[in-house]
Amino acid sequence: MVGLSEGEKHFIRGGIAQGIRTDGRRRLQFRALSVETGVIPQANGSARVRLGATEIIASVKAELGKPNILHPDKGKVSIFVDCSPTAEPTFEGRGSEELSTELSVALQRCLLGGKSGAGAAIDLSSLIIVEGKVCWDLYIDGLVVSSDGNLLDALAAAIKVALSNTGIPKVNVSLSAASDEEPEVDVSNEEFLQFDTSSVPVIVTLTKVGQHYIVDATSEEESQMSSAVSVSVNRNGQVCGLTKRGGAGLDPSVIFDMISVAKHVSQQFIAHLDSKISAAEAAAE
Amino acid sequence: MSAQAGTGTYSPAAAAGDKRREKREELRRHLAEDANWPRADGRSFHDCRPAFMQTGPTTAASGSAYAEFGKTKVIVSVFGPRESKKAMLYSDVGRLNCNVSYTTFATPVRGQGADNKEYSSMLHKALEGAVMLHTFPKTTVDVFALVLESGGSDLPIIISCASLALADAGIMMYDLVTSVSVSCFGKNIIIDPTSDEEAWQDGSLVVAFMPARKEITQLTLTGEWSDGKITNAVELCMDACSKLGDILRDRLKDTATLTSE
Repeated sequence: MVGLSEGEKHFIRGGIAQGIRTDGRRRLQFRALSVETGVIPQANGSARVRLGATEIIASVKAELGKPNILHPDKGKVSIFVDCSPTAEPTFEGRGSEELSTELSVALQRCLLGGKSGAGAAIDLSSLIIVEGKVCWDLYIDGLVVSSDGNLLDALAAAIKVALSNTGIPKVNVSLSAASDEEPEVDVSNEEFLQFDTSSVPVIVTLTKVGQHYIVDATSEEESQMSSAVSVSVNRNGQVCGLTKRGGAGLDPSVIFDMISVAKHVSQQFIAHLDSKISAAEAAAE
Repeated sequence: MSAQAGTGTYSPAAAAGDKRREKREELRRHLAEDANWPRADGRSFHDCRPAFMQTGPTTAASGSAYAEFGKTKVIVSVFGPRESKKAMLYSDVGRLNCNVSYTTFATPVRGQGADNKEYSSMLHKALEGAVMLHTFPKTTVDVFALVLESGGSDLPIIISCASLALADAGIMMYDLVTSVSVSCFGKNIIIDPTSDEEAWQDGSLVVAFMPARKEITQLTLTGEWSDGKITNAVELCMDACSKLGDILRDRLKDTATLTSE
């Protein structure tokens, strides 16, 4: 909950209309981004991402599981988001449930692609070990440690970093003679396969305040929004997910304009994030 | 399967599943590549299912509506405006409380409808921009949607049906909200998909639209889309939404003339 006086609200709205925001940023400028990898040793991959005062920890864990009967040639990926009460007291107990579901559904929509698997960020068929028998179950958890707006973009960035940090153990399958028996799986402790994250998209949320839209809104700015559109864009500039928040209706032409602005901004953001990832990987070594 | 034959095991379920999958894959290929392959129910790609809508199926509610699009059957009741729960903080605008539930027999596998737990919040987001919340301060309007049978495009039908129920309850709105979804298969766009089509789609797009104000209240998209395709799909949806809006308006007029007679 953000408590703002009339004067403060007017100041924020006026600043956005004039193209200079309360923290000195321009409308399409992100806050300072800091990236750390490998923060959780017991996970297969992890990352901490800070975007201004918003802080996210993402972890990726791989476990052996059984593929779905309907998709015997694919592994499984599940995404969960947890909003910790350390970030905001209203997140305590069931208070964060609605927000957590909203965020995890939005992330699933952006990362997992269509039902047929087309356009998915994570190639599910690369997670299969023995068709119909053994596959990797990938659990992606996002934790909101500190919240100052733009949670979805920060979560998506953190997940992208965590996935690029993820090593899936190499497995040796000893196929027994009878194919209906459970195959023996030997998980290697030393050899890891790097995950291909080139098609993992970033999410850019454009928040509409008054007549203009801004990226990377703080929670004060978010409290003044009429609506927001989150667009997820991959490296090829293809849109692979879109969610609208906020009740106010939008003119279709405004939405199309927002999509093209988001696409433009996302390419810069991807490049920026990539350089941060390689810097963080170099620092960790 | 050849290995299985060698060891002499026999599992009809797996084989049947495989055959079904092959058949679906073939259907998917046709939907993705052909210009106008007739769909399972005989529609062409840009045909919606025939819509049947009616107001007032439940008498206890302030307003209610029933919608039937092909196999999908939805009933929505609206209660209120009534006093907000005591625990709620004071609010000078009204609250809209939306809840979507599935009957246990709505899906082919019992109880599968519980997977769609985000539908309640999506219904709320689609409607809140259209309802004049300031006309009922301190009170709550409850919108309860029940899916009797899930046959594809559930959420858009719930949204359209809920806005009809809200209008039937006499809740002040800026406009009706209608919603239509499309599925994307390869280069083709298919409107108003059935659940079979939804299960194999490459991407989907749901638009909730206010036909008279020409504003989009909710838009969600999954899968990979190019710019041109998004524009086409959204325009297709908006066109269908406008036509659905006319149907909703006719239903409301029918009810009004019946009660005045």
